[in-house]
Amino acid sequence: MRPILAIASTTVGEAIRRKVLLIILLIGVLFIVVAPGLGILSARSETTVLKSFMLGVIQGVSAIIAVILTVYMIPNEIERRTIYTILSKPVQRWQFLVGKYLGAVLSLLLMMAMMSAVMALMFFLQQQSKNVGEVAELMKGPMMYFVQMCLLAAVAICFSTFVAPLVNFFLTVGVFLVGVFFNPLFQSLQDNQNTAPFVKGVAKVVNTVLPNFANYNVQNPLINPTSAIQNEGRYYLGITVYGVVYIGILLIIGILIFDRREV
Amino acid sequence: MKHRSSPVLLTVLAMAFLCQGLLQRLVIFDQWSRDYNPGKGKMYTNAMSPDQILAVLAGFREITAGILWVKADTFFDQGNYDAILPLIRLVTLLDPNEIDVYATGMWHIGYNFTDEEQRSDRRYIPSALALGKEGTRQNPDTYELFFEEGWLWYHKIDDDYDNAVKWFKEAQTKKDMLTARKNLLGMAYQRDGKINESIDTYYRLFDDSVKLYAQENAFGNHQNRDTLESNLDNMLVRKVQRGFQAELDNRPLNSYDCYPPFDVGFSVKASVVEPNVLRFEGTWNVLPVGTRIRVVLRDLNYPKAKPAEMEWDSSNDVNLDPPRNATFMQEQLFVKNRRFNKKVDMSKDPTMYPFTSDNYVLEFYYNPRSAPPHIQDKFSWNGEGMTDKNFLNQTVRPGQRVIFASLPITRDMIKRYGQWVDKTPVVKTSNYQESAPDAGRADDDAILKIPSLRSGMSGSK
Repeated sequence: MRPILAIASTTVGEAIRRKVLLIILLIGVLFIVVAPGLGILSARSETTVLKSFMLGVIQGVSAIIAVILTVYMIPNEIERRTIYTILSKPVQRWQFLVGKYLGAVLSLLLMMAMMSAVMALMFFLQQQSKNVGEVAELMKGPMMYFVQMCLLAAVAICFSTFVAPLVNFFLTVGVFLVGVFFNPLFQSLQDNQNTAPFVKGVAKVVNTVLPNFANYNVQNPLINPTSAIQNEGRYYLGITVYGVVYIGILLIIGILIFDRREV
Repeated sequence: MKHRSSPVLLTVLAMAFLCQGLLQRLVIFDQWSRDYNPGKGKMYTNAMSPDQILAVLAGFREITAGILWVKADTFFDQGNYDAILPLIRLVTLLDPNEIDVYATGMWHIGYNFTDEEQRSDRRYIPSALALGKEGTRQNPDTYELFFEEGWLWYHKIDDDYDNAVKWFKEAQTKKDMLTARKNLLGMAYQRDGKINESIDTYYRLFDDSVKLYAQENAFGNHQNRDTLESNLDNMLVRKVQRGFQAELDNRPLNSYDCYPPFDVGFSVKASVVEPNVLRFEGTWNVLPVGTRIRVVLRDLNYPKAKPAEMEWDSSNDVNLDPPRNATFMQEQLFVKNRRFNKKVDMSKDPTMYPFTSDNYVLEFYYNPRSAPPHIQDKFSWNGEGMTDKNFLNQTVRPGQRVIFASLPITRDMIKRYGQWVDKTPVVKTSNYQESAPDAGRADDDAILKIPSLRSGMSGSK
């Protein structure tokens, strides 16, 4: 466990020194700060627009950070040959991979926590109220996004064990977009009686096999509090377990491939 | 160095894969579909679907604007006007050249936010005007939004006609202005009391129509020429008959229709018959149908309020959020048989009539410029032929003789709180006579008799 934690802490240090990530984070924070000024887009629904925009920024910026942070992680170590100095020590390849992944997750946690804190502050200022419950409710969004981003980072780490960073970037983004958009598409295919059974079947298989990022887009009931949600806790638990299981799958695949790879 | 894959690891992998599939299919998906799917339920109506967002991100602004506009149209058919507003704003932001969206958006905002009795929410009118102004700035080369802006002043606001004139004039400078629509400038001038300008406009348009008909012997051109000729004839006759020309020449008015000024004998009583429900009863001695007296109930300190109206053109920025804590009710009281009696129920629309302030004012207003021609024939354009012992006012609309009365009323009275729980609150003008069946009405000699096809009467006092 110690080598894993050592690699993870080194990875966090590297991540927070990367200027490109800090710039993206800064842009995200700036967007959240200006969000209350977007009342122009609303009609009797400033709070809706504010919540929607801020949650959207956190999700979007976190996704960019997660991808950029992870696609270069393993290839850079190989390219700079720093991996030799690590693997020459009593460190297993799987420990290296898991340590790198945990470092990425911790870095994401730090950055998303910062954006969430700014969001809570701006929400307080815009609402001019001290309704802690409402802010806590809003925080459910970033919490679920965090699990989503951990899953995205796992996808990128898995791909980074066998493809080049540029290809990995497009692959990861592609999987993310399909994972986000496929659920609504699958739903509409399922609801449409005119859809051929074969197409429905294919959609079902793809929906079951690919990581389902749309599960974590829980913002709609948070933005529109009038929506009644049943068994919210059970759903959150379900998608967290789903995320952990899928992350495990991706890391195992990554370990299996990385173990066989010549470095 | 190559490793053989551990069978345990592969088994764990297979089990985990199965586990995630079962979780997704059996536990998560149904609840996601029910509670979190953005493509279902109310949330979808107020937002773009993910594929539309993707289209925007990909740069297809116009396509997305078009999709949203189709969706807004669906909401309109369903009567779901609240959902349309954000969509209109988004579409105009995405594609500022969507003239139809600006025009229809102004119409929605200005006309379609109504209460249960189809009274439109006047608090939205500054937003409708601001949207139109933004549309004209974005599309300065086409007449349409200039015309729509003028139409909102002319038809919806139905007051301050100098603004309608300003926008219609601007619209006429655009090359694509439809010929028939140009005639409205003459009408707007007339309602603005600028009779010579109205006649000049009709002359100019008539000359143009003659040329156009000579160029193209089409039925529409023929019809337009005849309409303009008729309008011009009417205006010339009215200018003389109503004593307008005599007034310009400083000649006495006593041989014209507007002399002597007729006392309309206005009186009114407003009773709060139920919480938030008012009944207006009163007198108006004009027998021919066609009189509409404006009544406004508003917060005493309504932002930028003016007598019986507000500063409609108060903003250049589109703010689709009217002052939600303030009340501004405007209604027309129709006169029949020299009386009016109308119940105004504001109890079913608390968002439109929030009544959060303590003090309110009831304003009653009549302006002959908005009157139909058969009544204007007596009162003339500026009210020269109209008077009232108590409520003639020449200051609230400078240069015009209008009827204006205001009565204070409190929130407790409107909502029947405190002492008003068992007692009907009543506010009335001092001349209102409670007991007489024809309260406030003068004897028959004082009744205005205007030639009218409906009444069959002839002659005027």
